[in-house]
Amino acid sequence: MKRRDFLVKSSLASSLMLVPNFMKAFESLDPATLGYKKLVIIQLSGGNDGLNTIIPHRNDLYYKYRPSISIPKNKLIDLNGELGFNENMGPLKSLYDEGYLSIINNVGYPNPNRSHFRSTDIWQTASSSSEYLDTGWMGRYIDLYGKNPHSGIEVDDSLSLIMKGESMSGIATRDAKKMFNNTKTPFFGKVLETQTAAHLSEHNLGYLYKTMVSAKSSANYIYETSKTSKSVKSYPNNAFAKQLKTTAEFINSGLATKVYYVSMGGFDTHAGQSNRQSRLLKTYAQAIDVFIADLEASDSFKDTLVVTFSEFGRRVQQNAAAGTDHGAANNLFIIGKNLKKPGFYNSNPDLVNLDDNGDLKYTVDFRSVYATLLDQWLDASHSKILGKSFKTLNFI
Amino acid sequence: MKDRHLIHLHWRSGFGITPSSLNSAQLLSKQKNVNSIFDISKKIEPIQLDLSEFNQFLKTPYKKYKNIHGEEAAKRLRQKSQRKVRELNFEWLKKIASSDCVLREKMTLFWANVFVCRDNHILHIIQFNNTLRNHALGDFGAFVKAVSRTPSMLKYLNNNRNVKFKPNENFARELLELFTLGLGNYSEQDIKEAARAFTGWNFKPNGDFILRTNKHDENPKTFLGISGNLGGDEVIDIILKQRQCAEFICKKIYTYFVNPSIDTSHLNELTDLFYEDYNIEKLMRYIFMSDWFYDKNNIGVKIKSPVELMVGIQKIVPSVFNKQPQVSYLQKMMGQILLYPVNVAGWKGDRYWIDSNSLMFRLKLPSVLLNNANISLIPKGEFEDDFSNFYNQKSQNFKVSDQARAYFETHYAKLTKDELKAILVLPKLDQDTEEMLNIHQHQNVYQYCIQLMSIPEYQLC
Repeated sequence: MKRRDFLVKSSLASSLMLVPNFMKAFESLDPATLGYKKLVIIQLSGGNDGLNTIIPHRNDLYYKYRPSISIPKNKLIDLNGELGFNENMGPLKSLYDEGYLSIINNVGYPNPNRSHFRSTDIWQTASSSSEYLDTGWMGRYIDLYGKNPHSGIEVDDSLSLIMKGESMSGIATRDAKKMFNNTKTPFFGKVLETQTAAHLSEHNLGYLYKTMVSAKSSANYIYETSKTSKSVKSYPNNAFAKQLKTTAEFINSGLATKVYYVSMGGFDTHAGQSNRQSRLLKTYAQAIDVFIADLEASDSFKDTLVVTFSEFGRRVQQNAAAGTDHGAANNLFIIGKNLKKPGFYNSNPDLVNLDDNGDLKYTVDFRSVYATLLDQWLDASHSKILGKSFKTLNFI
Repeated sequence: MKDRHLIHLHWRSGFGITPSSLNSAQLLSKQKNVNSIFDISKKIEPIQLDLSEFNQFLKTPYKKYKNIHGEEAAKRLRQKSQRKVRELNFEWLKKIASSDCVLREKMTLFWANVFVCRDNHILHIIQFNNTLRNHALGDFGAFVKAVSRTPSMLKYLNNNRNVKFKPNENFARELLELFTLGLGNYSEQDIKEAARAFTGWNFKPNGDFILRTNKHDENPKTFLGISGNLGGDEVIDIILKQRQCAEFICKKIYTYFVNPSIDTSHLNELTDLFYEDYNIEKLMRYIFMSDWFYDKNNIGVKIKSPVELMVGIQKIVPSVFNKQPQVSYLQKMMGQILLYPVNVAGWKGDRYWIDSNSLMFRLKLPSVLLNNANISLIPKGEFEDDFSNFYNQKSQNFKVSDQARAYFETHYAKLTKDELKAILVLPKLDQDTEEMLNIHQHQNVYQYCIQLMSIPEYQLC
């Protein structure tokens, strides 16, 4: 038995012995069937400017559209003679060189919406731009395959739409101990102490009790399993790095969690973009660098895939305030150990054929990315979760 | 009238009932109780804020202002307006919790989730909000026409950019799908025709509606089988002629005011009645007077929205929340921020309010508001925030005022525990929880009140 095997099974076993019968239903996650593969989704919230992240430095149009905010050739890290990293993405260069990074260009969807709220909803629910869904794609995965709130963790204090399912949602925590303590408060604790669930119905009251029981059970499980897992790496001192550190501790502890969601804010660079975005990309890249090293040190990197997206890219033409406005298609990063097509997955952004707003047109539907992740990484059936079939890609 | 029925009536037509109101209402008949609920909501009291600093908006539209005063000044004005919208959020919640016109406020809250709209322009959004309040118990047809003319709605669904040579279908689509008929009751062609009928709809800088005739498509249109030189109002009139429209609205009313799961025969009764003349007040009176409204299957089965939960507590113990940042924090953590609907379809409600985190928060809320319990959870940042602001959100310290406790002592000290329980808990208590309550009997009525508000049963109304 592998070490992690043992950890997962024994922590489940010990919590099972302590809980009454009815609660076992909520603990029924079988690690053998769900496998060990983890998916970490990171949202660069606010709309990251992809063109100044991965720079098409051989394209004159890029410099023409952005007279004062383009990145000069001597201030970027060339990758393939045509595209280069923003120099603040430096730490990702080694991942790129080792073949652990795949960049998919021009990811988006038809009739793009340029509102943060709406486009985030579209990405999080995997809807088309004309439908409104009330559950997130990860939430539906948890609902169908996880059957347990801790099958999906958002490293935050409240739950986003992406993690909400129809009858079962993921759980949010940035501090497992704090959450655990919250379930031990006098009233919460006492109600559950006496609860035998013998009378719970399918009606709303029964639903509330069941949600309460599963919340407590997941809070307990997450805390007990992860409390001894302490990261050995030293992370930069900022909020995003802290979220990734917590994520690494969760993953390295062997938690039976399949999907994680972390959101990093600040990318809405309408004005004075250059300095702001530089700082953000640096924060992102440095934290990712330590995060991957942390996973690697516990031998969990091979079982973890990290996907970074933003709700939209930004306008190709810079605005008058040395910033960029909300745009459409964008690049998306996949970080993992067994990538089929490391480096650039597809063709460069097309700066000639822009849409009516002057934004990049998508060539890859983001739901094709999800479909690939679901089918080929999470062993799920994507059409069940996305509501219909999408073409899968070939990056894992 | 039976206590239980009265409490039910007041939870559905408002946000619960206090022991003293219950005492005086007990003696009255159902008819009299229902009448008094409507009588008191007859008057219309709009929300008023001091908006004099935004007068420039009235003279110069935002774009023109930007041209004259420059980007920076325009940005400052915009931010000032956004802050004022947050103030409106606070004022609205205060009004919900304190206005006499309880039913009107409850209906306003309901309609805000039918005619979903958001706008950072304070003058426009307050006008929109007061339009909902004005029409909340009136004629539904006139309501739709009025809402469609508000600057906020014209902007939100791009109807102000809907012009003859480049029709924009956004408003027409949502009008049919979300406001009146529901998916599947019209064709794509109907949307196109309706969009043409609304071309040229716009507003003046002072917020008044204007039909720009040079942008309006005067050619004949055919909408839902009826042809003519239709304008927006004619399209709305044709929609109202569809029984489906009455049914669509009655479904929303039923799930919000009666039961989240629909009884078809009751829905049919309501639809027949509403279809006669689309009189909202008449419909609501009918519901509150019908016997089936008081059926035990309809009592205590609805999951309270975060606003209902907060206001319900505030009604029992006034002044538990009185600071704007705190009220805004609570809304964020529980997932319902007034004036900031999730999307154009609005909040789905009922079980959608509940996940592990929101439920833990909701169950802890009474201890936090009434017992100085510590809560250290941090809300999410905004899209527009820079990195440090995004992570710089604060949890809030709630300090229970002596006033709140004193109020409780003077008003409720004489209540028996059973009386308190009857007022606070509507569903039949779970057997195990009932046992728990018996074991952990609090001598102090205040503590008992907090305990009752902290059990899952209190989440229902």
